[in-house]
Amino acid sequence: MTEAPAVQVDALSKAFGGLRAVDGVSLTVAPGERRVLIGPNGAGKTTLFHCIFGTLPASSGRVLLHGHDVTSLPDHQRAALGMARTFQISDVFAELTLAENLTLAIIGTDRRKWSMLRRVPRFPAVREAALEGLRKVGLAARADEPVQRISYGERRQLEFALALCTGAQVILLDEPCAGLSQSERQRISAMVAELPRDITVLMIEHDMDVALALADRVTVLHRGAVLLEGSPAEVRADPQVHEVYFGHA
Amino acid sequence: MNTTRALLYLLLLAAVLALPAVAGPFWTGLATQVYVFGLLALSVDLLLAHTGLFSLCHASFFAVSAYTVAILQTRHGLPTIAAAPAGLAAGTMLAMIFGIAVRTRGVYFILITIALGFVVWGVAYRWSSFTGGDNGVTNVPFPAIGPAAITTHTQYYYLVVAVIVACGIGYTVLVSSPFGLGLRGIKASETRMRSLGYRTGLHLYWAFVISGLVASLAGVLYVYYNRFVNPVTGSFQISVEAALMAIVGGTGTLLGPFLGSAVVLGLRNWVSSFFELHLMVMGLVFICTVLWAPEGLVGLVRRLDIWRRLRRDAS
Repeated sequence: MTEAPAVQVDALSKAFGGLRAVDGVSLTVAPGERRVLIGPNGAGKTTLFHCIFGTLPASSGRVLLHGHDVTSLPDHQRAALGMARTFQISDVFAELTLAENLTLAIIGTDRRKWSMLRRVPRFPAVREAALEGLRKVGLAARADEPVQRISYGERRQLEFALALCTGAQVILLDEPCAGLSQSERQRISAMVAELPRDITVLMIEHDMDVALALADRVTVLHRGAVLLEGSPAEVRADPQVHEVYFGHA
Repeated sequence: MNTTRALLYLLLLAAVLALPAVAGPFWTGLATQVYVFGLLALSVDLLLAHTGLFSLCHASFFAVSAYTVAILQTRHGLPTIAAAPAGLAAGTMLAMIFGIAVRTRGVYFILITIALGFVVWGVAYRWSSFTGGDNGVTNVPFPAIGPAAITTHTQYYYLVVAVIVACGIGYTVLVSSPFGLGLRGIKASETRMRSLGYRTGLHLYWAFVISGLVASLAGVLYVYYNRFVNPVTGSFQISVEAALMAIVGGTGTLLGPFLGSAVVLGLRNWVSSFFELHLMVMGLVFICTVLWAPEGLVGLVRRLDIWRRLRRDAS
């Protein structure tokens, strides 16, 4: 064993009453890997993400981040340990400006968030980092506009930028392309592809072409359990996947 | 834009400073009261506008600090330099205890703060051997620190203005600091803030304590103006009035709570002189505000300003 996996999930289950949304899922993601989770609606992908990140507590099983057991930690502590996530439905701060949105992401895991005696503009390094973050997603020109004035697609980009700006080593992307046009999808997937390799990416994606192009490995979820794990080519060729994903031919 | 705003603030300050010389002692006294209750409203608004928490127990901090000052000064003969900070500390410590209310949100937060507020009011009212019961504590002297003593209402007016200006500056810095931005983030989306690494409960707790500190400061200013304190000071009605002032004036602004305080206290003084049911009038004012000026007076002025600019552009 050389290096601890970036994310390790052991027999994780999440039940809502009698419904086992995630049922004994185990997966291991190596540092720097791009792992894509696919599966039909209701397969438990987003619930699994919630449990990995701590948005929801797991019913049983363990989550390890770089070899440390984080199962009992709340979400904000997992964020402090270098994990970030995006949400399927954009969850950005609508009343704030784009730059303010990123400012919150940048200072979220350090002590500057407690600073009460200095105005935000008097942190030039933060401002610079926020502009840099916006530049990466092509929104730098609109830094001081409120989020309410930007389009749905731009909100998805901002959502992505928020996760990036935390400086996290492990990023969970929950359908970053949901509801986007073809060209917007391509822009987001290009951004994911350009992420440096010291960042580990877990991504839920419905679009098979996007998913299989980006992934190093693919995990297929079905009814809360892992149906198959393999390389994109293996997944593409598997008849079982075709059946659950596309139905009977 | 910024220069006009600075000019506006300077004009306002000049008017405030000139008031005792121009108007008589009645108006000076009323204005002092407006500033003190405006500060209380500002403390409520710090939570309401910036975190979305609607507190209805701020009269508690206000009253506890007022009672502490009054009891220490009149019964134990402590000087202002000891009594005023002790009052501030007592109110703030109460806020540190009541701060557990931030474990709840929305209507539950409102209900819990109402309940906590009634506890303080009940103690003030019932524990008469200590608080003086219905009569309260009377004969509080003017503040005096060594040879620097306040002897007239006009002098006290200027002291209050100085404290309010300092608080205004502090408030402006706080709400535009990273901490203040964090509070607005929590108001907009708590789940997102948690995912970015914020322990949101702790942020809200400290906001609550700071807000309690400001309310306590208002309590200290109040007791030296009023010269006595009774259970009404800590009553539910005062908590509601403070929130009302913030809403009528305009939440989320520095001037709003003070404007609201001026409207509420001014109307009460005027209407109650000829109409016994003056609370009914206050109710109507509140309903009209919520229906037609939900952003309060400051919001109304801003909207009118936009209209004027549009008309100018059109012509």
